[in-house]
Amino acid sequence: MTVEQNFEALDQFPVGMRVLAVDDDQTCLKILETLLRRCHYHVTTTNQAQKALELLRENKNKFDLVISDVDMPDMDGFKLLELVGLEMDLPVIMLSVHSDPKYVMKGVTHGACDYLLKPVRIEELKNIWQHVVRSKSRGSNNNNVGEKRDGSGNEGGGNSDQNNGRANRKRKDQYNEEEDEERDDNDDSSAQKKQRVVWTVELHKKFVAAVNQLGYEKAMPKKILDLMNVEKLTRENVASHLQKFRLYLKRISGVTNQQAIMANSDLHFLQMTSSLNGLDGFHHRPTPVGSGQFHGGTPGMRPFPSNGILGRLNSPSGIGVRNLSSPPAGMFLQNQNDLGKFHHVSSLPLNHSDGGNILQGLPMPLEFDQLQANNNNNIRNMNNNNKSIAGSSMAFPTFSTQQNSLIRAPNNNLVVLEGHPQASPSGFPGHQINKRVEHWSNAVSSSNLPPPQTSNSIHHQFNVSPLPHARPDPLEWNNVSSSYSIPFCDSAASTLSPPALDTTNPGAFSRNTDFDSNANGQPGVFYDSLQMRQSGNYGPTTDAAMLSSNPKEGFVVGQQKLQSGGFMVADAGSLDDIVNSTMKQEQSQGELSGGDMGYGGFSSLRTCI
Amino acid sequence: MQRQVALIKQSLFDQGYLDEQFMELEELQDDANPNFVEEVSALYFKDSARLINNIDQALERGSFDFNRLDSYMHQFKGSSTSIGASKVKAECTKFREYCRAGNAEGCLRTFQQLKKEHSTLRKKLEHYFQLARQAGPKETARRPK
Repeated sequence: MTVEQNFEALDQFPVGMRVLAVDDDQTCLKILETLLRRCHYHVTTTNQAQKALELLRENKNKFDLVISDVDMPDMDGFKLLELVGLEMDLPVIMLSVHSDPKYVMKGVTHGACDYLLKPVRIEELKNIWQHVVRSKSRGSNNNNVGEKRDGSGNEGGGNSDQNNGRANRKRKDQYNEEEDEERDDNDDSSAQKKQRVVWTVELHKKFVAAVNQLGYEKAMPKKILDLMNVEKLTRENVASHLQKFRLYLKRISGVTNQQAIMANSDLHFLQMTSSLNGLDGFHHRPTPVGSGQFHGGTPGMRPFPSNGILGRLNSPSGIGVRNLSSPPAGMFLQNQNDLGKFHHVSSLPLNHSDGGNILQGLPMPLEFDQLQANNNNNIRNMNNNNKSIAGSSMAFPTFSTQQNSLIRAPNNNLVVLEGHPQASPSGFPGHQINKRVEHWSNAVSSSNLPPPQTSNSIHHQFNVSPLPHARPDPLEWNNVSSSYSIPFCDSAASTLSPPALDTTNPGAFSRNTDFDSNANGQPGVFYDSLQMRQSGNYGPTTDAAMLSSNPKEGFVVGQQKLQSGGFMVADAGSLDDIVNSTMKQEQSQGELSGGDMGYGGFSSLRTCI
Repeated sequence: MQRQVALIKQSLFDQGYLDEQFMELEELQDDANPNFVEEVSALYFKDSARLINNIDQALERGSFDFNRLDSYMHQFKGSSTSIGASKVKAECTKFREYCRAGNAEGCLRTFQQLKKEHSTLRKKLEHYFQLARQAGPKETARRPK
């Protein structure tokens, strides 16, 4: 690259890529700026997060990528991350001196597409343009939903197993993303830099209300648009948002287990949802996908294949979506609200703060089936790349619709949710999840999804109380993953999740990951968690919902997760068996993964599968 | 002259005042950015002086708000890392550990040490840059062998 190259010539991408660098430390900022210029990017710098937001809001198309420090005095880097992902849907890279996995996890769950350590080296910056490309391509893929689920699920699964290197994750996510049916008929996505509609909380609320009114399963962009009755909103906008929402739910459902645990509050929701009948999403079977993929740097989590989850989430009709009012990490408010519903569902199971039953009664297996079925629909993959990650709202709980059918096995709740008495074997990881849930308590307001028993249409409106976004999600992630793996296996599931998550908002994050897997074992899990994180609330609920509703699915998911970390095992039939076996394993696994995004759990599950 | 400059730089590295990051910064220096390293150093010292001041005040107050101190130190560490000031960075780490342990005494001690390292580095770097400027712009970009 010669210096003479024209920076403005975007055709020569990545040369000329427009980066916004934010860091309160002048020294670091200057160095970063120089490094970026050396990479031939076009750089704008600011040392204030507020100013950065203003710049971004001023003109959404002005930047391709944002790099931000984590510790800033005027605004938390993660918060900025969420907001950017939510509002602008731009890839965001986090920078920090902290290499603590918790921070990395947090970054991922909040939607960062990468997490770099200071001092930053130029080699690392030379490749950051991939995030932009990825996010762009994801956008265009939004159209197809769910086709790839299986593919992606496997990808996710397989990937998740891989080491946690960030790079891996990134790759996986990317992979999943592409795999998942991103295809969406989001016309806008192709344009990438199209006029973006800012999905404010209000708008999102309307959206969610419309979706609920129509029924998650039946929600079609055109109808939603009509119901919302908002000027200047096009069908495409709604379609893409719906996709994201679905992914979010899916994610959440996967994550809910863990999250549910964490966020006690969500338990409620989850319980509700689970009773609904296996909030399909709820079971959020620990989609190993998430976990697998997750660790490592927050590489593009974006592709949340949470197809399954979404479907599941929808089912929990009863799930009153918890209002996402939970501390939305800011970003996802919109989604959160909606997602809350969903998410909560998923999280419900997880949340049981009482620590024991994560999925209380989430008909996990059921969910799976449904999820699977729904996957196709859901898989729409909300790919909201950044958004999903950030706002994780994507995991719209698909449970509702799915749930009903899925919930066949009331007991299923278990699966993921640890502790769910239902199927969970003693001491099933549930406790682990519980732990997590506790963490999430704030996040997951959505109580566990109501035990799947009720086959009522689960549209859980879970009030997915979005997991407190604030919570870092290392836990979540773990939870998610762990719980996912065994969606059906209650115990198993739970084990998965708890392990590693222990602190930060695992719930949020993990749920996502798991949930996704539920549906397909997709990598979506990761997203879910991310999504969950975003909304903070939704995570838990959706997970629960997801899980509960679809025991089988849950199981499947779990299995998948276990094995590939996310692939969805389709056969629900054997789920029960698997669940049981997994549960046991989970338990042990759960312990293992502890730190690691719950992979450990997964592996064990694998065996049982 | 040039050799002298190179030697000084080498000694800074050998003595552990600077680490590879500093080298990276030098790499970034080029015709478009001829005094990059010096500018960054100046910026660093200005920033860190301010931080040191803040910490001093906080310590003098005697309240020992470890969280706040820790966050200051975090910032300090961040910039020190970016510039490659390894000794300073090490002191920062120690300080933070003391903070976490709630060891006020340890914090004070470490902070004194940190200030010392910081001012030593500053002097050395200033001297180095001065010489480098005298030796000629090209020299500054040279890496220590």
